[in-house]
Order: sequence, then structure tokens, then C-alpha cells
Amino acid sequence: MRLFSKKSKFSQKNKFLLGVLIIILFVLVLNFFQKEVKTFFYTISSPLQESLWGIGDRASDFCRGIVEIKEIKNKANELCLKNQRLLAEIAILSQLKKENKILREALGINLQKDFKLTLAEVIGKDISQDFILINKGSEDGILEKMPVITQQKSLVGKISEVYKNFSKVMLVSNKKCAFDAKIQEKNISGLVKGKGNFKILLDFVPQNEKISQEDIVITSSLGGLFPAGLLVGQIEEVKKSDIEPFQQVKIKPIFNIKEINFLFVITEY
Amino acid sequence: MSIKRAIALIILFYFLALLQTSFLVHFNMGRWLGWTPNLIFILVIFWSLFGKSEDFLGVFNALIGGFFLDVFSNRIIGFNILILLAIVLFIKLVFKKYVRIPTLKKT
Repeated sequence: MRLFSKKSKFSQKNKFLLGVLIIILFVLVLNFFQKEVKTFFYTISSPLQESLWGIGDRASDFCRGIVEIKEIKNKANELCLKNQRLLAEIAILSQLKKENKILREALGINLQKDFKLTLAEVIGKDISQDFILINKGSEDGILEKMPVITQQKSLVGKISEVYKNFSKVMLVSNKKCAFDAKIQEKNISGLVKGKGNFKILLDFVPQNEKISQEDIVITSSLGGLFPAGLLVGQIEEVKKSDIEPFQQVKIKPIFNIKEINFLFVITEY
Repeated sequence: MSIKRAIALIILFYFLALLQTSFLVHFNMGRWLGWTPNLIFILVIFWSLFGKSEDFLGVFNALIGGFFLDVFSNRIIGFNILILLAIVLFIKLVFKKYVRIPTLKKT
């Protein structure tokens, strides 16, 4: 019985080996007729293959379209973000360009030589109240009463309130603003008073002094409020009255408050 | 295995090979999967894994599937046959030697 079982196992193994050998031989023989075999199958399959190829082509085109729509969308989003980043960079660069231009102008008239300046940007204007806001505050060394000028050395006002990162500038036209000034190249002194709404007046000018419309008013060091020689404005109108002891002179500021974007704060003079 | 079943399997693998070489080649599955799935390989392997271990069907599938893959590819005939045969025999060997499927004994 055991012998029979062993014989059976042996024959099973033999059968398996024989089978493998037959397969290998079959495969080898097929390779001799490879061309013929392949030609036969290609011939009978070609119509079906052609239609399958066409269907596959169309289906893959359709799928690729769906996939690419997603990719295009992603790319569009990426480009949009890139564009926004570039726009932000352009904005920063144009800001720097403006600052650079102003600093160059300031250097051109030796402003840096005369005073210690801090460049500030105007972040808010309240022209009706004759106040403006600048983006420099106590962190930048700004203190109250510091003079504020333009790059053309024209007086804008003085710091009235200082906060951490911004300051309030009281314009020369503010009703609370008053300081000593004189007419350039003439020894005529007076008191500049703000009249509100961007109007300035030169008061306490004696009646006998001759003032013409083209005269320029500059600050004097008398009051000690502002350094001497800052431009205040140009004479616009002179009012003489026999009743009044002094002439009243209307001054037209040299700068246009609406066009000012950058200013200098004189931190030391 | 009956002749009818054998013929049905031959026809099935023939169509699968056609699908593999004419239809699926258009789909760049590599983008998502890293490779294009081979239907014949998948079917033969699954049949070996879940078919009866004593059955000769797995070897037959490997032979027919590999043959049709070789016919419709540029490789020499026998390349895929031998690979599939090796896989099927390996699975059968592993199942026979190391996997025991519990059976209920009649009392």
C-alpha cells in the first residue's frame, strides 16, 4: 500500500515535470512560427482592434480633457496668486521710487545738511480741520511741536499729537497756529496766524511797510517755534486800512495740501 | 475542466488581451497609479488566489493569458507565459504548504 502511495507521488511529480517540459517545448516551437502565429491573430483581430483603438482614443481624450481642466484651473489659480504677489511688489517698488525721488530732491536743496530729518508718509488728511496724519510716531523719535516741512523746505505745520506709530500734524493754517515770520529780503516781521480752511494771514505788519504781492514769507527764529528760513508762503493780498494800526496780509501757501504724500519731520535743528 | 469552460476562458483572455493592447494603452494610468494595470495578470493572480488549489485552472489561465499577451506584444512568445506560470505555481505552492483552510469534520 505504502509502495503504491510512493509510486503515486512519484508519478504525480513526473506528470508535473512532464507537463512543464511540454509547455516549454510548446513555447519554443511556437517561437519558430512566431511570425505566422502573430500574423494569424492580427488578421482575425484587426477589425476589432481598430474599433477598440478608436474607442480608447476618444475615451482617453475625454478623460484627459477632464484632468486637464483641473490642471488649467490650478495653473490659473497659481498665476492669479503670482500676479497678486507681483502687483504687491510693484506697489512697494513704486512707493520706494517715490520716497527715493523725494529724498533726492531733499538732498538737492541740502535739507539733510541743515536739519536732521525723518521722512514720513501722509496717511490721512482732514483739510477742513487743518490736520493731517503721518505714519511716524514716538517709536520713530517724533515729539510734539516738531516742525513738519515738504521737500521744498516749505513749512507745513507742527506735530500736535504723537502716538506710537503715527502723529497728528497741525497745519500752519489751523486757527490755533501762530508763529513769527518775516518777509524775505525785507526786514519786515509779523505774526503768521492760521485762519482755518487752509488760509493764512500775516498780522502785525506796520502800516508804513511796503509789501508787494510777489514777496515771500519765511519763518523767523524769534518765537523759537520753528527754525528760521522755512518757506511759509507767497503774499496774495494786502489789506490796508487807516483805522487799523497794522496791515493784514493774506498769504498763499506754496505747497498744495491735496498733492502732498510725503513730508519731513525736523527732529533736530 | 470541461471543453466548454476552456473555450470560454480562451475567448475571455483573447478579448482581455485585445482590450489591454488596444484600449487601455490610451489611458495613462501612470499619472495616478505609477503603472498601467494589466487585466490578464490581475485575473490570473486572483484566480490562483481564490480558486481551488487542486484545480489545474490556474495553470491553464496562466498559459492562455500569457500566450495572448505575448501574441499582441512585441516580446517573444513565452515571456509572459513563463512569468504568469511562475506566479501561479508560486501561489499554489505557498497555499499548499503554508495555508491551511479549516474544514468542518463530520462527527
